[in-house]
Amino acid sequence: MEHHQANWGRPRNDVYGEYDFAIHNAGSHDEPTTRTLQPTVTGSSVIGIKFDKGVILAADTLASYGSLRRFVDEQRLFQVGDQTVVGISGDVSDMQNIQDTLDQLEIEANYDADGYPGPTAPSIHMYLRRLLYYQRSRMDPLWNSILVAGFKNDEPYLAYVDLLGVTYQSGCLATGFGNYLAIPLLRKLVDNDGDEKNVTYEQARKAIEEAMKVLFYRDGRATDTYHVAVITKEAGVQIEKTKCENMSWKFASQIKGFGTQKE
Amino acid sequence: MPIEHSFNPYGDSSGGSTLAIAGKDFAILAGDTRHSTGYSIDSRNESQIHSVGDGLLVSPNGFSADARAFVDDVHNDIIWYHHKHNKKLAISSCARSIMHTLYRRRFFPYYVSPILVGIEPDGTGAVYSFDPVGSYEREASRAAGHASELLVPFLDNQVRKANQVDPETGKPLAQHDLDLETALQLVKDAFAGAAERRIQVGDWLEIAVVTKDGHKVERYPLRRD
Amino acid sequence: MDAIVSKYTRPVAGPLEGLRSGGERKSAFDFELPSIDRPAAFLRAHTDDATNPDARIKIQHGTTTLSFKFQGGIVVAVDSRATAGNWVASQSVKKVLEINPYLLGTMAGGAADCQYWERWLGSQCRLHELRNKERITVSAASKILANVMYHYKGAGLSMGTMICGYSKQDKPEIFYVDSDGSRVPGHLFCVGSGQTFAYGVLDQGYRWDLSVDEALALGKRAILAATHRDAYSGGSVNLYHIKSEGWVYHGNYDVGTEIWKVKEEEGSFNDIRT
Repeated sequence: MEHHQANWGRPRNDVYGEYDFAIHNAGSHDEPTTRTLQPTVTGSSVIGIKFDKGVILAADTLASYGSLRRFVDEQRLFQVGDQTVVGISGDVSDMQNIQDTLDQLEIEANYDADGYPGPTAPSIHMYLRRLLYYQRSRMDPLWNSILVAGFKNDEPYLAYVDLLGVTYQSGCLATGFGNYLAIPLLRKLVDNDGDEKNVTYEQARKAIEEAMKVLFYRDGRATDTYHVAVITKEAGVQIEKTKCENMSWKFASQIKGFGTQKE
Repeated sequence: MPIEHSFNPYGDSSGGSTLAIAGKDFAILAGDTRHSTGYSIDSRNESQIHSVGDGLLVSPNGFSADARAFVDDVHNDIIWYHHKHNKKLAISSCARSIMHTLYRRRFFPYYVSPILVGIEPDGTGAVYSFDPVGSYEREASRAAGHASELLVPFLDNQVRKANQVDPETGKPLAQHDLDLETALQLVKDAFAGAAERRIQVGDWLEIAVVTKDGHKVERYPLRRD
Repeated sequence: MDAIVSKYTRPVAGPLEGLRSGGERKSAFDFELPSIDRPAAFLRAHTDDATNPDARIKIQHGTTTLSFKFQGGIVVAVDSRATAGNWVASQSVKKVLEINPYLLGTMAGGAADCQYWERWLGSQCRLHELRNKERITVSAASKILANVMYHYKGAGLSMGTMICGYSKQDKPEIFYVDSDGSRVPGHLFCVGSGQTFAYGVLDQGYRWDLSVDEALALGKRAILAATHRDAYSGGSVNLYHIKSEGWVYHGNYDVGTEIWKVKEEEGSFNDIRT
């Protein structure tokens, strides 16, 4: 312990060694959380929005290895139980580990066959929060950002959880680059809590399609094929694969200064 | 065990701010509902005020993953206290319990600066504030979070009457208990100011008023920019 | 001294125990630890805001505290400021911890470390009474605390405290105990970032045969001087007098008004213009 006046009570370098700025600066979040520190296979954004009768989630099918388009047909949206979809971005091996865990969870719920409806979206979200927070506390994180969509007491439910165990809920959510590119588009429909009551499925679906198109335009780790999950009370979960349509690359001709074009 | 210093388990403090005032027979805990990461607003509707049972309210103030885990701990401790002792947990005992919850993580701290609010057994309103590793104190008022540096001086001035002189007598103004109406007005003004000057504060203001009959929460809009 | 300190102090090398995931706490020594090879470096990186102001977790620190023996017993005087980095976190901290009606401990360094371990010490002192049917001595109480501090040496605790009270032989005793594991008996101590300023005042005004009023005034005056010159000290002065029958609280004095009073009465602090 330092006994000199200026730093009284503080740790001394000759006892504790020099202050380690590397620990303090570790993993500074200047970039989207989909970035991994090791060369691993990663999935880009997941986006989601509530509407009057349910929730829509979307995630493209690409799994990148750095800048390499390594696997082009990966599904990153998973149904859990009857009315919940989990969308996962970030490290794909960690994603598959979570997928296995969730499968096991569902299997064990089904063993009982007691008529209990199985895990709900809020309970799955809480399970993932505890899991990811536990792993971060062991300094061995699951390198993912996750959206959970479904219903809570018959109301649409959409929640986020990431590798640190941080969680939040909102009318529209996105992970990775979606935070910057998709959220402004989705917030046009649901900015306030409760705005989703005035949004139809068609409006929400269109906003998701526009957002996925913008992500394909501007996110270098995105692709034009994606899964869309629609969760409603009546029809349960429907996941389909689709492609970005009616794209316009006219804006590309305006971009100068890199690539083959010179000023 | 591998050296794992490339991973930082702490994120930024993501809530806005919370503020508490103790009155003669009430206590107020107020907080905004903005949740942000850097310059991004994650959600406009994440409450920072948690009811943990026995008429006690807690705001954790800090890194939100730790904050949730901390609130869960406090909540569980109260439930277990009921199972073991079959009686209400007094706020002073809850404060001591929170100290142990925080100090247990002395070598891997929760990144939080909690505030505990409730009514003492003698009927007076109480505010307890904590540092991240558990030192605590009962106070007349306290603010924490991103706007604490704006809110605390305001509370010093208006609640503690610090550095105020009676223009007639020239003597320092005495501190006296605020009535509920004045306290509520102070809270609203304080947050209107905080939302002006701190990007992390805004969207909605939640004000919880605790009395011996329990607590109720009201919401008011704040700036959304 | 520096060479000796660094020779015999090492940061904790490996995790003391594995990380547990919740469950009931077994004892006051049951801590959760990060599962990494250098927990002390980890703790410091995230909490030492003196070296790195950007360190996120700002733990509250003090302080100026003092105590001295004189013919009438012991005087204990402390300030009341807690700082978290450059932020004045509180101006109303109770830095004298009332361990029991006969024992006082002071708080300097990490506020939580002092509060937690001195409260724990209070329970140990009570257990001693129940087991032995007599009050614990100041010497024994301070040694319990010093042993714990030595156990956690190098783990990152920060505490500088004076354990003050009366011995079995009815003699006043003061022991300085800190987080390096030191335990030093003495007549007069000042502890904390403002210690040097307080020493200056105490050394020029101290006599064994001070009357009780004079001793209390001296203690208060020394803390006042320290709050004036040390940015990390301030708020108000809390005064205690310990007699063989136990301690007596002698009030709280706001430094903001007290300094003008002293200036006028003593004709001191002449550098301050009105």
